Amino acid sequence: MYRRRTLWLLVPALLLLGFFFLWPLAGMFLSTVYQAKTGLAPAAGYGRFFADPFNRLVFWRTLKLGLLVTGLAVVVGYPVAFLLSRLEGKLKSVLMALVVFPLLTNAVVRTFSWMVVLGKHGFVNEALQWLHLTDGPVKLLYTPTAVVLGLVHLFLPLLVLSLTSALENLNPSVLEAAQSLGAGPWRSFVRVLFPLTLPGLAVGAALVFTGSTTAYITPQMLGGSRVMMLSTLLYQKAMVSFDWSTATVIAAISTALTFLVIGGLNYLGRRLGAPEA
Amino acid sequence: MAFTDRRRHPWAVAVSVLVYFFLLFPMVVIVLSSFDPQEYMTFPPTGFSLRWYGHIWQVELFVQGLKTSLSIGAYATLLALLVGVPAAYALARADFPGKAAISAFLLSPLVVPELVLGMGLLQMLVLVGAFPVYPALLLGHAIVVLPYAIRLTLASLTNLGPGIEEAARSLGANGFTAFVRVILPNIRTGLLAAALLSFITSFNNIPISLFLTGPDVTTLPIQMMIYSEYYFDPSIAALSVLMLIFTLIMVFALERSIGLTYFTGGGSQK
Repeated sequence: MYRRRTLWLLVPALLLLGFFFLWPLAGMFLSTVYQAKTGLAPAAGYGRFFADPFNRLVFWRTLKLGLLVTGLAVVVGYPVAFLLSRLEGKLKSVLMALVVFPLLTNAVVRTFSWMVVLGKHGFVNEALQWLHLTDGPVKLLYTPTAVVLGLVHLFLPLLVLSLTSALENLNPSVLEAAQSLGAGPWRSFVRVLFPLTLPGLAVGAALVFTGSTTAYITPQMLGGSRVMMLSTLLYQKAMVSFDWSTATVIAAISTALTFLVIGGLNYLGRRLGAPEA
Repeated sequence: MAFTDRRRHPWAVAVSVLVYFFLLFPMVVIVLSSFDPQEYMTFPPTGFSLRWYGHIWQVELFVQGLKTSLSIGAYATLLALLVGVPAAYALARADFPGKAAISAFLLSPLVVPELVLGMGLLQMLVLVGAFPVYPALLLGHAIVVLPYAIRLTLASLTNLGPGIEEAARSLGANGFTAFVRVILPNIRTGLLAAALLSFITSFNNIPISLFLTGPDVTTLPIQMMIYSEYYFDPSIAALSVLMLIFTLIMVFALERSIGLTYFTGGGSQK
């Protein structure tokens, strides 16, 4: 019934992606490996990038903050997802909407709101002084803490949502079985519930990690030049110092990191997760 | 049932209350700050005024940014639907070798860091290809929203099933007529949701727009970011409040059209 003609319908989308997605990316990445014009050894750009101590600092900071954000998101997001998966009716839809709402809110708006909260005369500083906990304003903006807070705020909803779906798809009788066999709440969580949600957790954690290591606006507005990350360094190299070869190397590193983490975590999630009950 | 019983989970409830506070509190602060009459935002706000809500319309950068964001959002959505709906149809109805790979490729813009794509497009189209900035920006946005358009359309088509179309065909409609007269009307809710999600994704985009800016072609979020680096008056807060209201309407519309379960259905990859 469906003839080969149907396949022509794929052509416009494939052309669009082929010309304006695959081509620029492939061109960029090939240029980091094969440098005919400069006469440098293949992939020399990577060696040069990591030879610079500042670049290494930014690279490790990006990994460290990414891991920290992911860890925090998992720890505080799990209980929320757990609760959401058990609720029903009106309360659930309202609470779900309140998670989706920040997700669909512009990142500039969300990051700017943290500037207002953490600023010199912002909410936190005024509250600290009002409580006489500090004499003068504390420096909160342009610190790693501010960047971590902003990134957790940005990506926590993604983790909550993918974990909620993992918990919802769980067969309720597995917990029943664990408890009727004598496992307490803590034990049935650690031994039964948690392992079963690992695939969903891996998907969510991969989204948070890749999102926070490639986000631009939050490290830029809350961290500035003091807390540079790979994304802000990339922009600076490309658009401020016009060092396109270094910017391209950073782009390739970010992309490789993203693919590695998504592939690796999905693989681990499938391997570690017990078979679907 | 032990898993869905009404037992209280004091720990989960306590953490959840704190998390919701953390998620929503900065937004409350920004709403309050937007009414601050002062030139420099402080907390608590010094008074109540709508001054900045009037002021933002006087700032040419914001007005021009809004126009760019709206037109890019509309055209990118249109382009993504024009190429995405046929592709989704082929993926839903035809079986062919390499289908999984093609489907993964069509959704892959979700995985590649957008900052990297923005830089690649600037390099290839604008710097080397001498493209004007506006069409380059439009193409970048269309690529980023294409996966959303495809996925939502695909879900609608899968829900609809092939039966109704087969009936139309057996009654003599050709493939095109059956698509336009039978399929499209039946998936209109999914298409509307695809359009809404594509539009808001484009409107919110920063990484692509960051690289593809030019004279009179800078989106609103980028203008806001640049402005906030120089001024700390409440005009960004006022603009933020308007954008929060816009987002709220979008969340409501999505709830009404496809339901928010879409976001937990493995659909929220970004």
